[in-house]
Amino acid sequence: MQNKPNDNNNVKKRGDCAVLYPDGYINDIEGEKLEGVCDELLQKGCRKFVIDFSNTDIINSIGISIIIGVIQKVRDKNGAIFLSGLKKVNYDIFNIVGLTKQISVFKDEQEALLWASGDNKGVLM
Amino acid sequence: MIDVEVGLDKLLFSLNTLSELADVTVSGNNFYRIIKSSLYMVMGSFPASKGAIFGYDPAKKAYTPIVAKGLGDINDINIHLEEAAIRGFAIYNRPLDLTSNDPAVAMLGPARDMLERLGARLMVFLVVKDEVLGFITINGKFTDDLYTPYDIRVLHVMAQHIAFSLHTHSLLAKLLHKYTENKELYDNMRRIYYDTIHAFATAIDAKDSYTKGHSHRVSAYCTAMSREMHQTLEETEGIRIAGLMHDIGKLAIDKTIINKNSSLTKNEFIELVSHPVVGYEILSKVKFPWKGLPMMTRSHHEKFDGSGYPDGLKSTAISAGARIMALADAFDAMTTDRPYRKKLSFIQAMNELKKCCGTQFDPEVVHSFVSVIRKEVSGKTGDLVILPMLGEELGGSSGIQEYLNTFELPAA
Repeated sequence: MQNKPNDNNNVKKRGDCAVLYPDGYINDIEGEKLEGVCDELLQKGCRKFVIDFSNTDIINSIGISIIIGVIQKVRDKNGAIFLSGLKKVNYDIFNIVGLTKQISVFKDEQEALLWASGDNKGVLM
Repeated sequence: MIDVEVGLDKLLFSLNTLSELADVTVSGNNFYRIIKSSLYMVMGSFPASKGAIFGYDPAKKAYTPIVAKGLGDINDINIHLEEAAIRGFAIYNRPLDLTSNDPAVAMLGPARDMLERLGARLMVFLVVKDEVLGFITINGKFTDDLYTPYDIRVLHVMAQHIAFSLHTHSLLAKLLHKYTENKELYDNMRRIYYDTIHAFATAIDAKDSYTKGHSHRVSAYCTAMSREMHQTLEETEGIRIAGLMHDIGKLAIDKTIINKNSSLTKNEFIELVSHPVVGYEILSKVKFPWKGLPMMTRSHHEKFDGSGYPDGLKSTAISAGARIMALADAFDAMTTDRPYRKKLSFIQAMNELKKCCGTQFDPEVVHSFVSVIRKEVSGKTGDLVILPMLGEELGGSSGIQEYLNTFELPAA
């Protein structure tokens, strides 16, 4: 298994929405830091999230488990979460495990933010 | 053969996950990380949002969580299973759908309620060699889909990999337990062994009221010189023990001879000088973990020029240990009171060493001894061995440093 440190979960605030940019690979339990970042934002009151995977090359089953953990945490707080920028190989994995039926996946961050703003105009993948 | 239709993509994903799981389970990572990664792989494969891996805790006689996800803190949960049920699950050994009417589910007894409270939907046992080492539980799929027979087969294969990890860990834990147990036994034996040797040394010295502590001092001098001469740790330990035992032959000598303050008769002298040989004979019967102890004892009255006893050995024909011991023994004899004379001062004893360097004593050994003393007096070493033995004879004497500065030995 390839491993790459994933400690650079950049976060940007876009209006009332937090956009998370996980780096590199989410194929190791180190990727759990993403859940930690999300926890902190939830505690600060943030309830809208976009996770943009445009810089993420590999997501495996461990990564799926971590992302489900993030989604569950947001939903437990009645928040909303959207995904964007998934590379095809990663989108296929989301599709295989059925996650694409559970969560909206957008072409890119802008489309996800459009949807999150309530315009309902964002373009899905 | 797969009895459900599974897409190629899903097959490849499963294959990739199983391959990664195999890598993780044999990786050098710590046990907790391996098991955590394994659980995440299981949960990400189906996918599930809640899951745990339990392992058997012999101390609690229960299965306790090793790792959990999505369940909060469940560390205080202990799952008790009947022994008959455990034996049954070892044979059954396939994933259980806890919502089904499978008779195996009923075998869980009260544990079933506990598992339901954890939201467990599937349970798979971690079995190696008919032993249920633990189990995995996961809740229903995050996607609300049902688990398919294919999912259950994949879960079973994943469980076999994880069981292997648990088994390896369990073997290592047992090995570590045995090692600790044996080490404690060994340490106890070693302590008894050393205590016995020290008791012998005390008994030897008790034969002579003038030589109280002689064996311990000789042992300390020998150790310091051995270190200075860069002997191996094993050699140094050997000579330390030999120092304690070197006069063991005196136990067989009449006490009145040892303590006599007038001239010895010929027979008394013969008896007294027999102690190295007697000591050798005693120690030869003991299997020591160090080499050469009996010979060190036999030869500690040999002289470098061949004029010593009992064998008249010369130079390197005398073992290194015995050459070191000869100096240590003589130096301590010189610097302590004897029935027939008062002790020499430190400076007198050092002059005697110098005088006998190359005749009675091996020059290399004399150099090492002087080097240790110099280091101790100058404060270059905090590990003081010789100075404390000399007591007030040396303490606070500023002239010693000056004396040592001008003290010269013939080249070794």
